[in-house]
Amino acid sequence: MRAQAGMKLLTHNLLSSHVRGVGPRGFPLRIQATEIRVSPVDFNPDFVTRMIPKMEWTALVEAAESLGHLSELPRQLKEGYEKDEDFLRKVHHVLLEVEVVEGTLQCPESGRLFPISRGIPNMLLSDDEATS
Amino acid sequence: MSALAPEERPPSPGEPPSPLPAGARYFCTVGRGLEPFLTREVGARLAATEVEYVSGKVFFTTNCGLTMLKQLKSAERLFLLLKKQPPLFISSRSKGKVFNEIQRLVTGDPLCWVRAVSIWRSLLELEENLPPEVAKPSKRKTGENENIITKKLKIEQTRVMPGDTECQLQKQKNDKIEEHKDLTTEKENFQEEKSENDGEKEVEHHQGKLTFRVSCRCSGTIAKTFTTEEVGRVIGIALIKQFGWKADLRNPSLEIFIHLNDIYSVVGIPVFRLPLASRDYIKVAGLRSTIAWTIASLAEINVGAVVLDPMCGLGTILLEAAKEWPNASYLGADVSDSQLLGACDNLKSAGLMDRIELFKFCVTELPLHSESVDVIISDVPFGKKFKLGKDIKSILHEMERVLCVGGTIVLLLSEDLHKYLQDYKESNITWNSR
Repeated sequence: MRAQAGMKLLTHNLLSSHVRGVGPRGFPLRIQATEIRVSPVDFNPDFVTRMIPKMEWTALVEAAESLGHLSELPRQLKEGYEKDEDFLRKVHHVLLEVEVVEGTLQCPESGRLFPISRGIPNMLLSDDEATS
Repeated sequence: MSALAPEERPPSPGEPPSPLPAGARYFCTVGRGLEPFLTREVGARLAATEVEYVSGKVFFTTNCGLTMLKQLKSAERLFLLLKKQPPLFISSRSKGKVFNEIQRLVTGDPLCWVRAVSIWRSLLELEENLPPEVAKPSKRKTGENENIITKKLKIEQTRVMPGDTECQLQKQKNDKIEEHKDLTTEKENFQEEKSENDGEKEVEHHQGKLTFRVSCRCSGTIAKTFTTEEVGRVIGIALIKQFGWKADLRNPSLEIFIHLNDIYSVVGIPVFRLPLASRDYIKVAGLRSTIAWTIASLAEINVGAVVLDPMCGLGTILLEAAKEWPNASYLGADVSDSQLLGACDNLKSAGLMDRIELFKFCVTELPLHSESVDVIISDVPFGKKFKLGKDIKSILHEMERVLCVGGTIVLLLSEDLHKYLQDYKESNITWNSR
């Protein structure tokens, strides 16, 4: 039976805590991983090129580092990265090939913990916690 | 209208079957309301020409092979067109006269049937990649012929037959078995007759021991006077008499599909055993696959898009989308553990675990940045989970918030919900639709 898939760093970069009163300070969520999976994914330079502008670069680097998978990723984006295949491959690896199967995501502002179990992050808030 | 394009001709002895350069004519059954989408799809995917649709069926011509044909996503079933003609004239005529007309669907133009079966065989053979000698009709013994058909069947036999035509066939089955017994003595005479007829020499070559089953659908005026069993029987007997085929209800090599209604009389040969709508990559479907694909196709998913289904259930829409547009990032969320488990299972069976990620969160509280999602596609489960009013408003508000400028939302709504939203739209001045 295939191993469980997990939350990728690409998606982690889009996630934000929605606890009441937290607002933009609910990002980025701190990752504490107890089980990480690294699994090859087909490289598509076009995909990576288009994803990069959507990412919060600093947060991505921090997250990769916290998992011990920084993989020589530069801390700052350089100009002309679209043509740098070597760079794109590194980004591809960090975005798509590193997965958190078990662990937690923590809201940096409220401290609220969101568990990741069997690759699925549970970000459901109770009525009290919710913004609306 | 016959299945054959004008340039086509049956292969003469010593010549391999034509690779269908001029194409063949097909039709698909399609769910009501999806006709325009299928029309668009056959044009885009198969470079189809002469496309027309009439009430639940889309007719088209293409020279694409089975592999491409199998890719059709908004169709129910695919058939090789054998005959399409105006509806049978029923009203004041005697039953006998109408039966004669039904019979003439076969006897009126036997060559049309021969050619259609020949095209059908060519299609199957092309997929099998058989060596040329085996494909040449003159050298082919009827025994070998059977093997080719059986081989194809073995591959497909591992799947379970769908139930849509079974109920009609069950009744037909009993009738047919009885008749078959009656016909055995007559059949010997027919074999002799056949060999004398020059026009049917071709028939002998190609048909030989072909087994068949007739599947009938009658609606409108004709259904008031005739049962599907009666119509099926007339056609079946005509086929046995005309071509010497054997009826086999359990495992025929050839299926004949007939649909008679007030708009047309259509005869076709199903190209695949299973409906196209039954996907081999979806383990348990939530929403109907054809509708799920259509929703995704309306969303214009580009490379590198972030696609969200915030009420994904078993993940059917995401599966269809990820299969067709693999170079995007797919996120699915639900509040139900059992649904997420089912979705997870589906992803694994489809081998799409790398493309689609699942989350547990609620659509009214999306834990995503504003303007971070390019596409939202979903089936809104109105009535079961969400009520009109506050819930729907907050759902739409959240969706709008996370959607990028220029992003697309495609939602499947019930009638009531749609009406509600129309009213809401008109009354709410601050509503922004993208």
